[in-house]
Amino acid sequence: MTAEVLKYTREQVESLELAPGATHENLEGWVPELATEEEVRQALEKAFDYRGDVTITTKSGERMEAFIFNRHTGATLADSYVQYFTPSVAEKRKLSYTEIARLEFSGKDRAAGKHWEDWVKAYNERKAAGEKNIALHPDKLD
Amino acid sequence: MAVPISQMWTVSSYVLKKKLSGNKRYPLVLMLEPLFRCNLACAGCGKVQYPPHVLKRMLTPEECFAAVDECGAPMVSIPGGEPLLHPQIVEIVKGLIARKKYIYLCTNALELKRRLPEFTPSKYLTFSVHLDGDREHHDFSVCREGGYDLAVEGIKEAVKRGFRVTTNATFFDGTDPNSVRGFFDEVMGMGVEGIVLSPGYSYEKAPDQNRFMGRARVRRLFRAILSNRKPTWKFNMSPLFLEFLMGDRNYDCIPWGMPAFNIFGWQRPCYLLQEGYADSYKELLETTKWEEYGVPSGNPKCANCMVSCGYEAPAVMDGFGSLKGFLAMVRGTFSRYNDPHALKLLNEPAPHGPATLVQIERGDHELEETRA
Repeated sequence: MTAEVLKYTREQVESLELAPGATHENLEGWVPELATEEEVRQALEKAFDYRGDVTITTKSGERMEAFIFNRHTGATLADSYVQYFTPSVAEKRKLSYTEIARLEFSGKDRAAGKHWEDWVKAYNERKAAGEKNIALHPDKLD
Repeated sequence: MAVPISQMWTVSSYVLKKKLSGNKRYPLVLMLEPLFRCNLACAGCGKVQYPPHVLKRMLTPEECFAAVDECGAPMVSIPGGEPLLHPQIVEIVKGLIARKKYIYLCTNALELKRRLPEFTPSKYLTFSVHLDGDREHHDFSVCREGGYDLAVEGIKEAVKRGFRVTTNATFFDGTDPNSVRGFFDEVMGMGVEGIVLSPGYSYEKAPDQNRFMGRARVRRLFRAILSNRKPTWKFNMSPLFLEFLMGDRNYDCIPWGMPAFNIFGWQRPCYLLQEGYADSYKELLETTKWEEYGVPSGNPKCANCMVSCGYEAPAVMDGFGSLKGFLAMVRGTFSRYNDPHALKLLNEPAPHGPATLVQIERGDHELEETRA
């Protein structure tokens, strides 16, 4: 948590009626600028939050699809790294922030478009059309 | 309370031992997620939104056992994803039973009836079946018509075969407390050992961010649900945690009390927030900035959380860690929590949208209640 994040007092928390949700950013397809240290840090923070794969191009020219599930932010970019899975390798992998030349939010955002309201609307429409056994199904894995 | 004596003894002696040794940060329940893949696609779920190559990954039994051994918690909850989709779940369960861990295998029970013959009843194994209400509510909640009937078939078969079975429900904004109370009658009639319940939480990474209650609304809902209890209702939870949900007592979150381990590692700081991962439980304990979480921190991500993974551990530690707490727990176990104000709440329409703050006239309540 950073200092600029809004802080609540205990009294405010205890009297909350509705929780303020987080805003879902539409990042699919985004290619961030990585010109400055701050841009690198911000882009990788968003990649860590992103529920889809990104494509990383390293400074040595390697290009890989990756799901970034962790990041460690140190005082310098050299002290900072991401941890990720790639589709073809079983083990967790690690990459320094300094090794990353390009980042692309290339994979489908798996959290997008799955709101409760969407389900309610779809359910009512399908029910009105006389459909039986209405359900949402998990995405295919292959 | 529906928890067997042997389990209570294990937990109480564990808590006392930790207290006597001066250990302030210790785990009570390990949340072991062996996979994220699920056979439901509940709208708004914050747990299963991953690319296919991540959903295909699973913890091996050896990885599960190493996490359990390192952490040392006497209880292991196995959520997910759907654990019954793990091809080695039987081996994992057997290994945990061999370690004398009390296991809550959390399942939507779509596969339960089919897979039951692979398991052997044990006092250490409980199937905790996800049921969010009666047929209509549950099917709508899990976005699958017919889900309730399959789950109930699984529950009945498991009860018949002599397994320990509980139901677990999550309640979101707009829940009708009368319907929930009727649902309690229904599930107790199925022969389950007890009920587990929880308020919903606004996962930061969940696709749906509009259905989450703030603390005032949570307390009002659970006070309406849990006051004036019927003698047939049994809860497989700490009575003090239920009092916390009703606003009768307050606790601060203990995120290390129910740590979460999955294919990414040890999740920081808790089962709900995903702020990163540690490679070991020791690293999680030593390097997480715990002071940045929970209500006293002012962290908005923790503002509406009253979920068991943060607040049941302190309730259990309170109940088994002092004579006062123990007596309160015993009292809570046998009390029906008669409360005329809560009866009035049952006659009010379910709240929608922001509301004003009103003090409920009841002197022994620590926390302010609100009225829509």
